[in-house]
Amino acid sequence: MPIWNIDTAKHLLSRTLFGYTRKDLDYALTFSTLGDFIDNEILKENPIPIAPDAWINEIPIPENATIDGQRYRGFNYWWFDLMLKEKTNMREKMVLFLHNHFTSQRTEVQYPQNMYAQQALFRKYAFGNLRQLTKEITIDPAMLIYLNGNRSKSKNAVPNENYAREVMELFTLGAGNYTENDIKEAAKSFAGWVVNGLEARFDPNRVAIENKTILGKTGNFTYDQTIDILFEQPACAPFICRKIYNQFVTNQPNEIFIGKMAKVLRDNDFNLKPLLSFLLKSEEFYASELIGSKIKSPIELMIGSMKILEFSNPAIKYDDVANSDYAYIYDTSKTLQQQLFEPPNVAGWPGQRDWVSSTTYAYRNGFSDSLINGKRLNGAKIAFKLSALDYSKTFLNSENAIKFIDEVTSLFFPLPLSAYKKKLLLETLLEGTIAENYNTNVPMAELRLQKLYKAMMRLPEFQLN
Amino acid sequence: MKRQDFIKQLGLLSSGTMLSMGGIQVKALAANPFHVDIEGTDGKILVLLQMQGGNDGLNTIVPIEDAKYYNARTTVNIKKAQALRLKNTVGLHPSMYGFKSLFDANKLSIIQNVGYAQPDRSHFRSTDIWLSGSDSKQQLFEGWVARFLESQNPSYPSSLPNEPMAIQLGSVESMLLQGKFGSLGTVFEDPNLFYQLISGSKVDNDPPPNTVAGEELKFLRQIANASIQYSETIKAKADLGKNTQTYPNTNLGRQLGIVAKLISGGLKTPVYLTTINGFDTHANQLTAHSNLLKQVSEAVTVFQNDIEILGLADKVTLMTFSEFGRRLKENGTSGTDHGTAAPIFVIGKTVKGGIIGSNPNLSDLDSSGDPKFEFDFRQIYSSIIGDHFGHSSELAKDILLKDFNKLPIFKGAESAISSENSISLSQNNPNPVRNFTNINYSTSIRQHLKIFVIDLKGKVIAVLKDEIHAAGSYSLPFSAVDLPEGIYAYSLLAGNGDQKTLRMIVAK
Repeated sequence: MPIWNIDTAKHLLSRTLFGYTRKDLDYALTFSTLGDFIDNEILKENPIPIAPDAWINEIPIPENATIDGQRYRGFNYWWFDLMLKEKTNMREKMVLFLHNHFTSQRTEVQYPQNMYAQQALFRKYAFGNLRQLTKEITIDPAMLIYLNGNRSKSKNAVPNENYAREVMELFTLGAGNYTENDIKEAAKSFAGWVVNGLEARFDPNRVAIENKTILGKTGNFTYDQTIDILFEQPACAPFICRKIYNQFVTNQPNEIFIGKMAKVLRDNDFNLKPLLSFLLKSEEFYASELIGSKIKSPIELMIGSMKILEFSNPAIKYDDVANSDYAYIYDTSKTLQQQLFEPPNVAGWPGQRDWVSSTTYAYRNGFSDSLINGKRLNGAKIAFKLSALDYSKTFLNSENAIKFIDEVTSLFFPLPLSAYKKKLLLETLLEGTIAENYNTNVPMAELRLQKLYKAMMRLPEFQLN
Repeated sequence: MKRQDFIKQLGLLSSGTMLSMGGIQVKALAANPFHVDIEGTDGKILVLLQMQGGNDGLNTIVPIEDAKYYNARTTVNIKKAQALRLKNTVGLHPSMYGFKSLFDANKLSIIQNVGYAQPDRSHFRSTDIWLSGSDSKQQLFEGWVARFLESQNPSYPSSLPNEPMAIQLGSVESMLLQGKFGSLGTVFEDPNLFYQLISGSKVDNDPPPNTVAGEELKFLRQIANASIQYSETIKAKADLGKNTQTYPNTNLGRQLGIVAKLISGGLKTPVYLTTINGFDTHANQLTAHSNLLKQVSEAVTVFQNDIEILGLADKVTLMTFSEFGRRLKENGTSGTDHGTAAPIFVIGKTVKGGIIGSNPNLSDLDSSGDPKFEFDFRQIYSSIIGDHFGHSSELAKDILLKDFNKLPIFKGAESAISSENSISLSQNNPNPVRNFTNINYSTSIRQHLKIFVIDLKGKVIAVLKDEIHAAGSYSLPFSAVDLPEGIYAYSLLAGNGDQKTLRMIVAK
């Protein structure tokens, strides 16, 4: 097993969490081994959090867009808060992974109640059985609405093939591992479900009793039997493991290692926890070549920046969502192109380089600036503003400019920063004086430090994980 | 070659924007009949409009006399009486009245049944096929537009052109603009906001580590540096530009309004990508689809009017595309599933107008029940490269990796076909030339050819050949020993009137 030190700890935390604080890092290092920390913290089963509000059990009402919009905001804020306060547990990152795997878009699903119920499934199965989750997702009301399984009929009608296609292409097998005919046949087994408020009901009168031939097997299959057939395909485990590898390791797949992951997943009957345990304890995960090779997602960037700057307790304000401290994070998630519950399409956010274009790169820098300035780009105040001086004084080497730059950059960046970059940052901090004359009592120290943090967070290196 | 580079090579200018040479400002080059545009796009601009999700072609261009259409679509259909009649058997979706007026004015070409062999019905794969210009089973990682732009900007990425090679309105960069060396596009939502966001960042040239992370860092820096370089230009051109029309208050209307403004401000960027989402109409299609087509028709019609009043209509053409059409037979949820071939639109003053191709043959469906394609989508790309941007079929073949016959979409397209079949002219080598260079040219038929060299004022300074040529390739040595340094053009004129002109630089 890889050794447990500050480097492996930083890497593990940055990949399995939405960023980390100095306290999280110190806490992680109190564990004696990497395995010990993973088993007892990262993959620990935590209690299910209390729901955002009572509306989650209300029967959805059509044409209720204003209220639904406010509820979605509250729901978003609630999830941001769970991420911010996740400590050193991977569950919320898995919930987002599963949301991006079994996607649904709120513009289609409409009702936050259904979306909440779907997320509850992701949370329940975050470390659980993927086959069972896939079965439950197949008849989950939000998914039935999103991929048009709702009201799909096979009796005297052509069943809607949207879900059948995407469950094979995107959720279980990947393109090339099924035929157009498999899609048409599977669509018959997924027909018959009708969403009614918070529930989905099966209506046998909507379904033709007939044999279907799916991936070489013939029978009058029900939806869950079709999912079993998909999970029996040799392409299934590698497809899922590739996606997990891509999310948590790097976007250039190592097929040999993915083969090993697939064996672990199959040997453990598609339970995710043994797979994650295998992955996070592997030498592959900590390969020096791959450190810092992921581009932060907008959520990782935003929540991670809040954590590192120690904005620890924003006010949610469910009954006044426009004035929540999280309203700014919510708005920024849209401009940075990761609005939760609204992936771009059924394939989800592709991630990595797709996160960054000339415009989103610029917005990322605008966001990090705003946390230092306490203002949005248009000048409006936000709830977060770094007190640069107070924050800096909490570092061990705050009074020694050169050591301070070393200490703060090693916390902020996944890789050691080049000597050239450190020199530039030092010059930003010193503003003409010499390092020996610097301490936190120099005139304008607050402003100088603000400039330093802005410059650090504007570096491309800060976008890496 | 880009302006910055050749200026540098000529050593004529150290800074500033006005280049003066032999008493003629570079701006005056445009008035020269032998002017060859610096970016190799002849000042032409292509605006692409991507309709994401798979537009239902059968309900867009409706086969109003085909009973098979109405039999397969008992609910998800467009009634004959409602369709806007384009021809006896062809109707346009009733919400596209703007497109109807463009059609009547011969500014809208419709190409029927556009698709490709072995159609893929995955959104993602089929989108990649359209964007990269690949075959169904072939995986390409660059966009066809990126390959085109790379061919026109050979010194990219070692230096960036003065103006963005391509602009995408939006936030997430499309594969269309991904080239061999990374992204060729500048992506933004609003010119002023973009400028505001960028100011304060510095160009970063620190060498990245030789790891996977280093590769990602290089990518991030490239994006950051290009943004820094272009944000000022884009804002300046947007400030100079204007709109003469009020655009619909839709996302697409906003995008096209910005495009028109930037073009009218003088931005030379040859390719723009705009997008509208939501065409994946598996359920409850009729209202949603009608609304989407209305948005397309309204925004594009206003754009075309704007461009015409701004006096830019000879330069600009707009093309729509979508990853596939939809199944003939409706499904049981008042929608349609993924299909294959569908019509596309090319709009502008320079198109011929009318309908190319026949109505979809609904008696000859493929095994999934989808209409078969009549034209490969790359025939349209080939027409754009050849007849809009004015390039040879060889270049189109290089970019599209195969020969695709052009379609008569643009005015004068036939003569362009005949000229390409008859003569070709290559860039002189070496170029820039100090003393001697070679000019290579060819003709596919026996005919009279004249080759001559002109200066910037359009004065003929040398006639190199003026005689009947047998079909074949020729190489002609040329001496520039006695020519003062500067920019020249050389021209190949065929007996049938076809002419090719290229630029030659003499640098001592």
